[in-house]
Amino acid sequence: MLAFKLAFKNLMGAGLRTWLNVFVLSLALFMIVFQSGVIEGWNRQAKRDMINWEVGGGEYWHELYDPYDPLSLNDGHGNLPAEIGQLCRDGQAVPVLVTQASVYPEGRMRNILMKGIDPSQNIIQMPTADLKVDSAVINALIGTRMAKATRLGMGDLVTIRWRDANGTFDAAEIRIAGIFHTNVPEIDNNQVWVSLDNLQKMTGIGDQVTYIILKQGLISVPTVPGWIHKGYDSLFMEIDTIIKAKGVGGIVVYIILLSLALLAVFDTQVLTIFRRQKEIGTYVALGMTRWQVVWLFTVEGAMHSILSVIAAAVWGTPILYMVAKKGFGMPKGIEGYGLTIAEKIFPAYAAGTIITMTLIILITTTIVSFIPSRKIAGMKPTEALRGKIQ
Amino acid sequence: MIKFLIKGLLRDSHRSRLPLIVVALGVMLTVLLTTWINGVLGDSINMNAKLSTGHVKVITKAYRESMDQIPVDLSLTGTQEILSELRRDYPSVSWVERIEFGGLLDLPDSAGETKSQGPFAGLAVNFFDSRSGEAERLNLNKILIEGQLPRGPGEILVSHTFAKKLGISLLDKVTFIGSTMFGGMTISNYTVSGTISYGISALDRGSVIMDISDARKALDMEDACNEILGFNDIDYYDDAKATELMTSFNNNHQADNNEFAPVMIRLRDQNDLGGMIDLMDGVVGIISFVFILVLSVVLWNAGLVGGLRRYGEVGLRLAMGEEKGHVYRSMIAESLFIGISGSIIGSAAGLALSYLLQQKGLDLSGAMQNATMLMPGVFRTRITTEAYYIGFIPGILATLIGTMLSGIGIYRRQTARLFKELQLQ
Amino acid sequence: MRTFLTLITIFLMVPLFSQPSGKEILNLIDKNLSAKTQIMTVKMVISGARGSRTIEFKSWAEGEEKAFTEYTNPAREKGTKMLKLEDKLWIFSPSTDRIIQITGQMLRQSVMGSDLSYEDMMEDPGLSSHYNASVTGSDTLQNRKCWILQLNAVNKGEAYEVRKLWVDQERSIPLKEELFGKSGKLLKRTQLYNITRIQGRWYPMKVVYKDMLKTGDGTQFIIESIKLDEIIPATIFSKASLK
Repeated sequence: MLAFKLAFKNLMGAGLRTWLNVFVLSLALFMIVFQSGVIEGWNRQAKRDMINWEVGGGEYWHELYDPYDPLSLNDGHGNLPAEIGQLCRDGQAVPVLVTQASVYPEGRMRNILMKGIDPSQNIIQMPTADLKVDSAVINALIGTRMAKATRLGMGDLVTIRWRDANGTFDAAEIRIAGIFHTNVPEIDNNQVWVSLDNLQKMTGIGDQVTYIILKQGLISVPTVPGWIHKGYDSLFMEIDTIIKAKGVGGIVVYIILLSLALLAVFDTQVLTIFRRQKEIGTYVALGMTRWQVVWLFTVEGAMHSILSVIAAAVWGTPILYMVAKKGFGMPKGIEGYGLTIAEKIFPAYAAGTIITMTLIILITTTIVSFIPSRKIAGMKPTEALRGKIQ
Repeated sequence: MIKFLIKGLLRDSHRSRLPLIVVALGVMLTVLLTTWINGVLGDSINMNAKLSTGHVKVITKAYRESMDQIPVDLSLTGTQEILSELRRDYPSVSWVERIEFGGLLDLPDSAGETKSQGPFAGLAVNFFDSRSGEAERLNLNKILIEGQLPRGPGEILVSHTFAKKLGISLLDKVTFIGSTMFGGMTISNYTVSGTISYGISALDRGSVIMDISDARKALDMEDACNEILGFNDIDYYDDAKATELMTSFNNNHQADNNEFAPVMIRLRDQNDLGGMIDLMDGVVGIISFVFILVLSVVLWNAGLVGGLRRYGEVGLRLAMGEEKGHVYRSMIAESLFIGISGSIIGSAAGLALSYLLQQKGLDLSGAMQNATMLMPGVFRTRITTEAYYIGFIPGILATLIGTMLSGIGIYRRQTARLFKELQLQ
Repeated sequence: MRTFLTLITIFLMVPLFSQPSGKEILNLIDKNLSAKTQIMTVKMVISGARGSRTIEFKSWAEGEEKAFTEYTNPAREKGTKMLKLEDKLWIFSPSTDRIIQITGQMLRQSVMGSDLSYEDMMEDPGLSSHYNASVTGSDTLQNRKCWILQLNAVNKGEAYEVRKLWVDQERSIPLKEELFGKSGKLLKRTQLYNITRIQGRWYPMKVVYKDMLKTGDGTQFIIESIKLDEIIPATIFSKASLK
């Protein structure tokens, strides 16, 4: 305990230099927490967005449905199974029907998916209520990406053509009743959403559906023959892979930054010991063993890290908090194609990361403090007492 | 005088060694971090460039309007002429032709009838002319999962997931069905020479890469292509240069109002890459600033150590009648020498390490589930011009400031007390 | 009052008695157009953004369900053959020596860049057997008096539920046809010109086909020569003849 008290007093006595070291260390801690917070924030947000907009509490797919194979849409639908039908009536799930169609913005054909969903659903955040508006033509919802690609705006009419279940052609004008903005491209790119009733009527498909979105937090899900339950494990696989990859590149930055901070501590430690030889000599003369003195100085060096954690908390927390409130603009490239990335990431600071990083800084700082202190053990106390350079 | 100081520094290793090591280490880390950030963020941008956007891209005006649908019918024609114009006017840029297209891939059974079929996105590049550098640009050797790269006409690469889905094995003959540039139907046979994985499931679901000569034959696109990509010689996107290039090219073609007239766009105009470039500039700036700050603190410490270590010497010099200013200046001169030599050593070491990492890359793929083309798992540094001087700023400045601050003590010492202090020696 | 109503009814019905029924007109058209077999050489003119292209082909057809087409010009398309048997469509391309069945998304693609899709090619029912017809009025087209016929599909599953025909009153040949979606949207329009007497039938020698949802001028089919009711060897309509 004495060692800690002494170390603290000595550090305070050193003034500005201590604070600079502490600042450098706290900067390293801050940067690491910040970066991992951004990545973790992206991870959480992407999943939250997917849950809110796309997958709810999981999905049931018709066994023949494969979202990446348009051919599967011909057969990948069936009557709503009774168990799930009940969930849908209870507002615990919402069915979706997917069909192929073509739209003709500006007279150029574009193959798309037409999806039908219950306008009064509240399972996902899509503003499906817009589909309820009274209108002579079919109301449709599109996402901002689709709106940009087709240059369609609110209230615009566009021709859509499809074939019904028997193969008969049909076409109609649809009115863009709403344009929604989502971070989830999977429900936006090349898609037009209409009400499920309309789509079932348009295609004459009866009560059939392609997949069912469950409400969030629905705990037990029945097994239904002919339908495959898709949990978060499989729905989040892609995003999990990419998040992991993103984290790796950052590690090197941490290492370099931390090395620099440790260099500063090491440097200070050398300076301190050199400067305070008389003091060391005095300690030994007063009866401390040399290793006790080594311990004293190591603690003093390591104390930098404790102060830095406090400092980081003092000046870093408001910044981290502000960024977490205001968000952080996240750019996308082709890697982001089809991936859920919010325009603004709100960093999520995981307690685990903060604690791990704090511990790493504590331990490494102790090590670099110890290395120069070790020299004390080799000093001759009499010489040291005289302040003679050894 | 300088000679004398240097001699002193060289002979008294205590005086020079530690500060020198600290300066060199700090400078080295600064250089390394700068090149690392440029490398990792730049790599991501450059991958986009290589795969789809180029640093700049020439397309038709009509194509620009509906680029997301990669309409081959709106392609550029007379590309030889456009290419020679580009190569004449902008010789430092590498210009390559690409065709992006879509279609169906059909795998026959033993009787030659359709066994399986699936839609794909095709990319045609100039494989066979090694001068084009396209195989390296697309990192094809790295993303190859099975088989080998196409060696001659009629050979294609198919994405691994897609091949598995259709049941394609190596050396299978597959048939491409699609539309020519004029809307005609086209059917051609290819041999699958290898499978690839980009690591982006959107692409891996259905991708084909073939030589541009094959695609031209199939799509009836002699002397045509839908995109001409330009890559600058430093293999690193330079926004200002790309903008300059674009402005110059588009001014030359301003009069041409035909919808098939060529028009140039930049990397930042595509795939929402503008945001990433802005971020990169911002991050490099901030990190460099923070580093300089941190390093200055470290070196200031080093300066103090130097100053304190020689407390006695300075005292002696003052006692012997040397002027305080003179002592101070000579110490600053010494620190300048240490700063410069430390910066040189540190920059050299940092650059050497960066160069090594630029060439070999740091393989962190073990830490990732699957390394891919766009997230290669191998991280590289990128030596930019700023890497050559950035270390000198903290290296020299910080040492100087450190010495100046620690040297202030010299003025505080009173001659009268000097001998008392020196008694201890 | 009752007498008055009866009179009105009779009065209204008079014009109906003076014209053939829709069924009769359809039968006449089928008689005219549905030869047992047709062999023809056709020039197809496709207009697109880059100007127009001409493609030539020869086709053999028997009844509604068998058709065989061989492209002869330009060189790029030469030797490409298509075979339609009932609801299946195969394509043979000489350069690949492959026979490919056109299914799925490919069916929605246009044939050789024309306004005709593969789906449209598949669809070619004899009108009288698949549609109920009623005469809804008359009109003048190409200086000829026409009946306007509305056709409604008898069974579910016809590609077009409603068709409208403008039929030359004298020669019993349509001069224009419009195809509608189930909910009444105009999807395709065919115009028939140069009606010529061939082997005792009236036949259009030029047809302009237009996808009404797309921009553009449509695709012209110009019949260069035609032979009706020749015997076509059955082997032509087999996959063996594709190669």
